Amino acid sequence: MKKYIFIAACLCLSYSVTAQDRKQPQPGPAPTINIGKPETFTLKNGLKVMIVENHKLPRVSYNLTIDNTPYAEGDKKGVSDLLSEMLGNGTQKISKDAFTEEVDFLGANIGYSSQGAYGSGLSKYADRILELMADGALRPVLTQQELDDNRNRFIESLKSEEKNTSAIASRVQDVLTFGKNHPSGEYTTEETLKNVTLQDVKNNYNSYFVPSNAYLVVIGDVDAKKLKKKIEKEFGSWKKAVAPSVTITEPKNVQYSQINFIDVPNAVQSEIALINTYNLKMSDKDFFPTILANQILGGGGEGRLFLNLREKHGYTYGAYSSASASKYTTTFSATSSVRNAVTDSATVQFFHEINKIRKELVSAEDLKNAKAKYIGNFVMQIQKPATVARYALNTQTQNLPADFYENYIKNINAVTAADIQHVANKYFLADQMRVVIAGKASEVLPNLEKTAKQHNLPILFFDKFGNPTEKPVVNKPIPAGVTASTIITDYINAVGGEKKIKEIKTLKIVSSGTIQGQPIESIQRKTADGKESVEMKMMGQTVMKQVVGATSGYSEMQGQKQPMSADEFKEAKAEAAIFAELNFAKNNAAKITGIESINDKDAYAVLVGEKTYYYDVQSKLKVAVKEVVEAQGQKMDNITYYGNYKEVKGLKIPHEVDLNIGIPLKLMVTEVTTNSGVSDADFK
Amino acid sequence: MTLSSILLLSAGAFAQKVTFEEYDLNNGLHVILHQDKSAPVVVTSVMYHVGAKDENPERTGFAHFFEHLLFEGTKNINRGDWFKIVTANGGQNNANTSDDRTYYYEVFPSNNLELALWMESERLMHPVINQIGVDTQNEVVKEEKRMRVDNQPYGNLITSVKENMFKKHPYRWAPIGSMDHLDAATLEEFQAFNKKFYIPNNAVLVVAGDFDNANAKKWIENYFGAIPKGQKPTRTNITEEPITKEFHATYEDPNVQIPMLVASYRTPSMKTRDARVLDMISDVLTGGKSSVLYKKMVDVNKSALQVGAFNFSQEDYGMYLIYGLPMAPKTAADMTKEIDEEITRIQTELISEKDFQKLQNKIENRYVNQNANLEGVAENLASFYLLYGDVNLINEEINIYRSITREEIREVAKKYLNKNQRLILDYAPAKDKAKN
Repeated sequence: MKKYIFIAACLCLSYSVTAQDRKQPQPGPAPTINIGKPETFTLKNGLKVMIVENHKLPRVSYNLTIDNTPYAEGDKKGVSDLLSEMLGNGTQKISKDAFTEEVDFLGANIGYSSQGAYGSGLSKYADRILELMADGALRPVLTQQELDDNRNRFIESLKSEEKNTSAIASRVQDVLTFGKNHPSGEYTTEETLKNVTLQDVKNNYNSYFVPSNAYLVVIGDVDAKKLKKKIEKEFGSWKKAVAPSVTITEPKNVQYSQINFIDVPNAVQSEIALINTYNLKMSDKDFFPTILANQILGGGGEGRLFLNLREKHGYTYGAYSSASASKYTTTFSATSSVRNAVTDSATVQFFHEINKIRKELVSAEDLKNAKAKYIGNFVMQIQKPATVARYALNTQTQNLPADFYENYIKNINAVTAADIQHVANKYFLADQMRVVIAGKASEVLPNLEKTAKQHNLPILFFDKFGNPTEKPVVNKPIPAGVTASTIITDYINAVGGEKKIKEIKTLKIVSSGTIQGQPIESIQRKTADGKESVEMKMMGQTVMKQVVGATSGYSEMQGQKQPMSADEFKEAKAEAAIFAELNFAKNNAAKITGIESINDKDAYAVLVGEKTYYYDVQSKLKVAVKEVVEAQGQKMDNITYYGNYKEVKGLKIPHEVDLNIGIPLKLMVTEVTTNSGVSDADFK
Repeated sequence: MTLSSILLLSAGAFAQKVTFEEYDLNNGLHVILHQDKSAPVVVTSVMYHVGAKDENPERTGFAHFFEHLLFEGTKNINRGDWFKIVTANGGQNNANTSDDRTYYYEVFPSNNLELALWMESERLMHPVINQIGVDTQNEVVKEEKRMRVDNQPYGNLITSVKENMFKKHPYRWAPIGSMDHLDAATLEEFQAFNKKFYIPNNAVLVVAGDFDNANAKKWIENYFGAIPKGQKPTRTNITEEPITKEFHATYEDPNVQIPMLVASYRTPSMKTRDARVLDMISDVLTGGKSSVLYKKMVDVNKSALQVGAFNFSQEDYGMYLIYGLPMAPKTAADMTKEIDEEITRIQTELISEKDFQKLQNKIENRYVNQNANLEGVAENLASFYLLYGDVNLINEEINIYRSITREEIREVAKKYLNKNQRLILDYAPAKDKAKN
């Protein structure tokens, strides 16, 4: 008996030794960061140079940053952006072609902005890369031709954003948060761009591309001593000058939380941003608690906002917050794009989460995971040369203590749950929050007004440029005598009349557009007896096709055919006509739902089945069709716009179509053919 | 001084050195330590010398299946906890499988080296291989195959080239393997595979980054030392008969619209000098917009939408692939003709001095970037040891490339890239499946 016990005890003992031996190890003490201390010197002209020798790899990077105090560009807003594009197109010594060719031969990268320059490549070409970069920066060729080309491109890109809800939202957020005349609040328009002359660009370059607040950070396989001489040679001639400095009016937070609403009639999602400003420097002791508080609230896919608005409620694809630190006034913001119908509910949930992190201590696990993620990211980023450069520069420009990054992890680990609560109250100003919502008033406002009232949030209205405006009229009265049927008859007459329409047996429309720079062609064929096919081609190859034949239909994506279900076919068939409106009249299925604004003009909204058709009140022409599509398990509105009607064989056909297929696509009609070019084979 | 002598001179001053230390544990586990204290990051990885080519031809897909199975849990790590442990400690991890080897790694802040070593030793020492795990991963692997292979345009390209290029050698199947084989496999077969290949003397452990040498060695001994040595797997060399006559094959892919032309030539192991010469030939043919095939076919003649050439080279053999998508109305035959013209040129004429210098710059850039991050260095160390048999190549392989002459480029093209040594594969859109 005793013997057995002894053996059992032995087994037990040896077992527990092994088990202990293989338990999950605890982490060691938080590591300190080994960042190479830069070799630092200042040129006579004020340029500060930091060289981080790193011989691990035979490569080098140069990063020139000019840390000017932000300034407003006023009625010439955009001048510095234009300068950014115009730099690097050759130098006074080297032609544009020769410059780019040499950069390629060296396998180097060289780029410019109005606030600096960048160059990188193999270290054996370190000198030449520096020479080229300096030459481009200090002796640029600024020509009228480059100005005109870049301005035209810029104007085009502004145009493409005119109806972009998120572009509108972001502009108005800045205007309201900082004020129109503040460097962070002003915005670029076609007019301000047109105000810029070549002399303005040159003046901007001469005033602000100066060395007094400039930093050149070099990282890589270089000899600091030798390089110092080279840098003195290349940048010594940079004329000493100080950038003009003007005082900026500091933005103020609102006195009480409020909603600032911008009506964007074409919006299918509302852009919500809760914003307040504050002052917090990276060197302040609140810095670390603040970034962790933000991480817990809305730092990513495990943040509370994401878990609440997306995972729990399904309002959105994502919801996040950001809390930055800077030597200038900066912002806290919490943002999301949500579908129209839940705009008010989403706003409530934003406040719920912000209030919660202000009122309740975060759990030990939340805090631990936020720290782990931050520290993990931090240490894994730091080996990248770009990160090292940024840190060395931050240390200088943000006036950080020399050991700021060495102590980073230690300081993160020192943050407590009480610290988190403290900073949440200090910087996430739930009681002085500006809630900027850009969305479709007619669908969003009725609920939003109710909810806002319950929560004591006044609603103020602004236009697309942040000017105060009246509350948009969302329910315009429909004039007496106007019915769905009169609208449709007016439309049929406006395009040419029923008789003309009936003369058309087949119609073929070819249009073209571009998707991400790639040309795309669309060929649409329709017949009077209700067959239809649409084909999209890129580089001569069919990428998408949809066919509604006599008795069946299918769609095809990248060669994968998918037959239509009976219901889908029935629905498609109902509209498959040269002018679907002739069918509406027959079926008597159309209902008028109101007057809405389409491209800033009033249009009657007519509901047929699940689609809404919009007819301009003035011209009577069809200007848009809205349908509900499902994406990522969520229902969303998708609107197609029609414009630029031109007459073909006595019928008005829209020659510009704006689609949204996940990304905007503008199709311009290039060819309309009636009664030829369509055969039964097209619908097989 | 001529330009080429400047290049030679600067080549001599080349400073890139990856330092490392290597040793064996008593159980045969090879250990490579690379210290890099530039950031408090540590990469811990284990490469096992087992890949798809080690599989039973009736059980293909096993090696890759293990890459999934061995995250399921161990004696001391509960099922489902592996990823949680990694994230909660600020790390990242992943794994991958090829025909030749299977690779697992963790990237952690440096204070978690012990944790990483513990996890990897757990995986090697006593993974839990049970029916639940097998069943779960069976589903996951099937989804992976659907997503990455079957549902992907041109997803079966390499698979179809391989099955045509190899008649006897196990390179004839792909790592993803056969789902029927996996369905038919028993739990005992999985356990036997683990016992055969997942042994310390068939693996290399790499620790790269910021760590204390003595501690690392102590932990490695502590966690890995007790793992028993196994029977080193024997490998038989399977020789393929040389290809002496051009042959054709077709593969139909329902996911594609444009047929792809593939010309594939048998080439030697990646360990040979010739394999490196072939890499340089790829640069000449299709490296960048000024390369001969790109310029000719895409830019000037507009016969191809896309053209590429690369040496898909592995431990036992390689395949030199030239592929292109014809631009209507030009056809695969037109492309073949143009490709052949340029290959003939490379076989008969020397490339110009200037192109040769550009090539040197390209090689050097690529080489520098290859060791630019710690994860890359760790994997290169493991591969050079386990597959090439010489860790020093991490620093010295570039010298092989540098010593290659214009004449060798011509000779190697002549040796391997002949019409009678190749497969022409028509990777075509499926004919019938799409019709309703």
